[in-house]
Amino acid sequence: MTAPELVTLRDVAITHEGSDAASPASVDFSIAPGDVVLLLGPSGSGKSTLTLALNGLIPHAVPARVDGTITVDGLDTATASVAELSTRVGMVFQDPDAQLVTGTLLDEVAFGPENLRMPVVDVLARAETALRRVGLWERRADNPDTLSGGGRQRLAIACALAMGSPLLVLDEPTANLDPKGIEDVYAALADLVRAGDHAILLVEHNLDAALGFVDRVVVLDDTGRVIADGPVGTVLRERADELHALGVWLPVSTLAALQLRDAGYTLDPLPLTPRELRAALERTPRAASSADATAAAGAIASPRETAPHDTAKRQQTMLEVRGLSLRRGRSEVLHDVSLDIGAGEFVAIVGANGAGKTSLIQAMSGVVTPPRGTVHLTGAARPLDVARTDSRTLSRHIGFVFQNPEHQFIAHTVFDEVAHGLRRQRLAEDDIYTRTTELLERFGLADKAQQHPFLLSGGQKRRLSVGTALVAGAPLLVLDEPTFGQDHARADELLALLDELRAGGTTIVVVTHDMQLVTDHAQRTVVLSHGRVVTAAATADVFADTALIEGADLRLPPLRQALHDLPSHPELTGIARVADLPRRTS
Amino acid sequence: MSPATSATATTTVDPYAAGPVAHGRFLTRINPLAKLLAPVPAMALLIFVRDAVTPASFIALSALVIIVGVRITPRVLAVLAAIPLGVIVIGMGFSLWTDPSQVDDTTVLVQLGGWTLYSGALGVGFATGLRIAAIVMLTLIAGLSTTGPDLVRASVQQLRVPYRIGYTALAAFRFVPRFAHELDVIRQAHRVRGAHGGRGPFAALARWFGYVVPLLAGAIRHAERVALAMDARAFGAHPDRTERHLVPWRARDTVFVVAFVVASALIFFVTFPWGLS
Amino acid sequence: MREHGYAEQVTSSARLSTSILLTCAAIGVATGVLQIAAGAISIPVSATLPVLYGLVLGVHVLPGVIAQELLRAPWVALLTHVMAALVASAITPLWIGRYIGTALLIGGLQELIAAATRYRRWEAWRFFLSAIIVGVVIAVAIWFAADVTRFPLWGQILYVALFILGPVAWTAVGLAIGRALRRAGVPRRRQG
Ligand SMILES: Nc1ncnc2c1ncn2[C@@H]1O[C@H](COP(=O)(O)OP(=O)(O)OP(=O)(O)O)[C@@H](O)[C@H]1O
Ligand SMILES: Nc1ncnc2c1ncn2[C@@H]1O[C@H](COP(=O)(O)OP(=O)(O)OP(=O)(O)O)[C@@H](O)[C@H]1O
Ligand SMILES: [Mg+2]
Ligand SMILES: [Mg+2]
Repeated sequence: MTAPELVTLRDVAITHEGSDAASPASVDFSIAPGDVVLLLGPSGSGKSTLTLALNGLIPHAVPARVDGTITVDGLDTATASVAELSTRVGMVFQDPDAQLVTGTLLDEVAFGPENLRMPVVDVLARAETALRRVGLWERRADNPDTLSGGGRQRLAIACALAMGSPLLVLDEPTANLDPKGIEDVYAALADLVRAGDHAILLVEHNLDAALGFVDRVVVLDDTGRVIADGPVGTVLRERADELHALGVWLPVSTLAALQLRDAGYTLDPLPLTPRELRAALERTPRAASSADATAAAGAIASPRETAPHDTAKRQQTMLEVRGLSLRRGRSEVLHDVSLDIGAGEFVAIVGANGAGKTSLIQAMSGVVTPPRGTVHLTGAARPLDVARTDSRTLSRHIGFVFQNPEHQFIAHTVFDEVAHGLRRQRLAEDDIYTRTTELLERFGLADKAQQHPFLLSGGQKRRLSVGTALVAGAPLLVLDEPTFGQDHARADELLALLDELRAGGTTIVVVTHDMQLVTDHAQRTVVLSHGRVVTAAATADVFADTALIEGADLRLPPLRQALHDLPSHPELTGIARVADLPRRTS
Repeated sequence: MSPATSATATTTVDPYAAGPVAHGRFLTRINPLAKLLAPVPAMALLIFVRDAVTPASFIALSALVIIVGVRITPRVLAVLAAIPLGVIVIGMGFSLWTDPSQVDDTTVLVQLGGWTLYSGALGVGFATGLRIAAIVMLTLIAGLSTTGPDLVRASVQQLRVPYRIGYTALAAFRFVPRFAHELDVIRQAHRVRGAHGGRGPFAALARWFGYVVPLLAGAIRHAERVALAMDARAFGAHPDRTERHLVPWRARDTVFVVAFVVASALIFFVTFPWGLS
Repeated sequence: MREHGYAEQVTSSARLSTSILLTCAAIGVATGVLQIAAGAISIPVSATLPVLYGLVLGVHVLPGVIAQELLRAPWVALLTHVMAALVASAITPLWIGRYIGTALLIGGLQELIAAATRYRRWEAWRFFLSAIIVGVVIAVAIWFAADVTRFPLWGQILYVALFILGPVAWTAVGLAIGRALRRAGVPRRRQG
């Protein structure tokens, strides 16, 4: 007899109604009580679909065909009802707001047990236990809206716990959160794992946070087949290259460690998290071939970014903000902000929730009108005061991309969407046609020209929204949290596009919470805190100042966490990008 | 703390249950359905009334019930103060629209060129104003003393509205701020794109039409996600569910309804506004 | 155990799914939000130009029309109206009575008319027929409440005509919205 499994999947293939290929296509694995399993796979491989099938939402609530068998605690999901399965499998979804139903935390957690017709006493007892486990019991009378994003996601975990299910399934629970929220959620999950009374299936792209407590990993390939199933360390260490090629994200620390090993550092076992990497390095003496390594590090220590904007290009500013204070509603949200954006720069604006990032870029680009004389476009032939410029002229100079691309779409076809900006400039129809077609081709959307913008995939929608912002010829592109709620594959695709645009001379300003994105792409970083600019400097310098970053309620990017202030390895201290690590010199 | 929870001898308390019911005056403790239903006969009959005394009496009755029954906050005062204002505005408006030929046997009040305002017109206009105000006042009895969640719970508990519908409405309360914010952002985004510029009612209609599609598309997708999350928590699994917040129908609710209907009948009996006598 | 689960599933597929319920709620709230934003005009209109009130009041057919056009299922019109009314009552309890009354009246009529064609006809004419009936019923009710017989004759005719024109015009808008949403791929799948 084998150990009693909680969940068993045999030859599972799931086909959504209206699509012709199954994804996932062939899944075989099982989860035992207490297992903590990470499910990895490229976008579209069927991870979310699989999680919905585990508690019967597929096929009972979402129309799809399920081949093979899924057994949960002895129940076949094809015949058991979602309600029966809900006491075995608790779900936590990506968007915290889409999981809230009631007016207080306590009611929210009680909602599930009440649906099960439990006596009031039991309902309250379960609610209390669940809220205490995620540290929210003290706030039980509050409205969930008053919680931070991370707090709401912890509440969702409590709701799943209150169902009494031995298995917890989480589908990208931190994709919509800022760094503080992510930390919050993982602290709660780590507590659960330590207690060991729940099995967990986690779908997550942010491996750096997750790997600390996961013990097994299952990997789907892009056709939705299981290609790996084993202990995290073994799978990630032995098949790192293969996974990377598939488009599965590896922890930054692992990538860094692989490279450091190449450069002669002994790192055994291969670290998977920033903490492990740091610990491993502290154990390791200077690299055997330390001469090479230092040489390499030295070569990179003159980062290519410092040169350009400090000298020649510095005079060429694109946009000048001077003494900008902005009121929204009754309070002032920006206080005396001054800032320059240089031509051709990639600037990141970071800060905690509510710091005023959105307000700043909206005032900079005239989406909300700034006070007169505070924002000037200096890239034009003669300086333009943004407050006095009409929106048609502005659109020739600044393209603004909102967080949700769908909000910006106004036409019924992709073609008209792009052409709209040109028609506003009153160009000839021929001219419009050629320029639109050109742009669609450049953005890989030519074959979608006649499709409705809403029917594009997430990544395509994002590309289209960038395209519509640029079509009027704007040399400055401003984006508000362009990667929020997107998976890494889409985020990466977008960043590749932005880098390409910048190489072509476009100036780019991005608001984001993704610190690794900032370190990898932005030359200059502006840190906002409570409506003031705390610092605006070269990205490397900004992240070198740990106190400043944490003072602004931000977090260091993973590599920085591992490598900041590392006395045993001065040659590594302060490196934040994988690309800047020492390499094998040969 | 309610006896039910203290009797269970756990440390668990239920703060929300005690919330809306404990404070406030007698009207807040009446079942929402009683407050909604009691004035209905009076409202239905008022539609066919033409005099001024009957609606005025009902305004007085409702005002009395409200002043005695709810705690007087600035908001309540503002609402009550708006009623006479409404009577004047609507009264004047309808006076101007009254056909002069039907009332030209009454006193002339104002004469402007070929147009005359008769006292009869003013009488008709103000009767209408009072009538509408009386109907509004009667709905305010429930309006000023009831919370949305209680109304939903009472409909589920007494009217046997399926609880799945009631709780869907409760879940939908959260949609309001979300969609309102979404609409704001959409308007901003469309303005930046320069969609449907221009003035006038038709440009405005076209503009609003442009907001509807992204708003509704986002709304429906959000609703589908919420539905999955609710199903995942066994929503609708059984014909009924545990109810922690009871909104019972008590003897005092019956008394309230009967008393109100009797009072209404009395007013109609005394004023007898049907012109038959 | 298994049989029980299966039976439950069969009965549950015959009733309205949670997804339909919430979609109706979303349509109700979204149209409500639009009405809040656009509907401030209704008070000045009814005070100064009462004959035009019909055009403004007609906007209330919108939730039912959009719901029926998008979902084409029984109960959705009434449900959408009731959800919209319940949610609106929670936001401004002041008008609880008015919201619930309007919702039951208009939603109920739209539902009845769709039921009369056994939920099989969803062509545009059916929606317009429904709009005219709704218009007539409201016009009759308001006729008495507002004492329209006191208006000059042309005022009376205009008044009634607009009460019918209002719902018809807004039905046309609702159908156009439904069509635009379908083109945008919403709802993603046929439910129900
Ligand atoms: N409701 C649906 N109807 C039709 N097709 C769907 C539906 N949901 C998902 N799909 C399709 O099923 C496939 C698998 O999607 P799924 O969301 O499970 O992938 P995933 O691995 O979770 O991807 P991601 O990492 O982007 O979240 C995709 O091709 C997707 O387009
Ligand atoms: N329309 C508005 N009316 C009133 N206050 C507003 C408005 N928009 C934003 N605020 C307030 O202004 C402050 C700054 O908001 P802003 O959206 O610019 O912050 P942010 O840095 O973009 O935050 P987040 O990371 O959450 O997006 C916040 O305190 C917010 O509550
Ligand atoms: Mg997914
Ligand atoms: Mg923001």
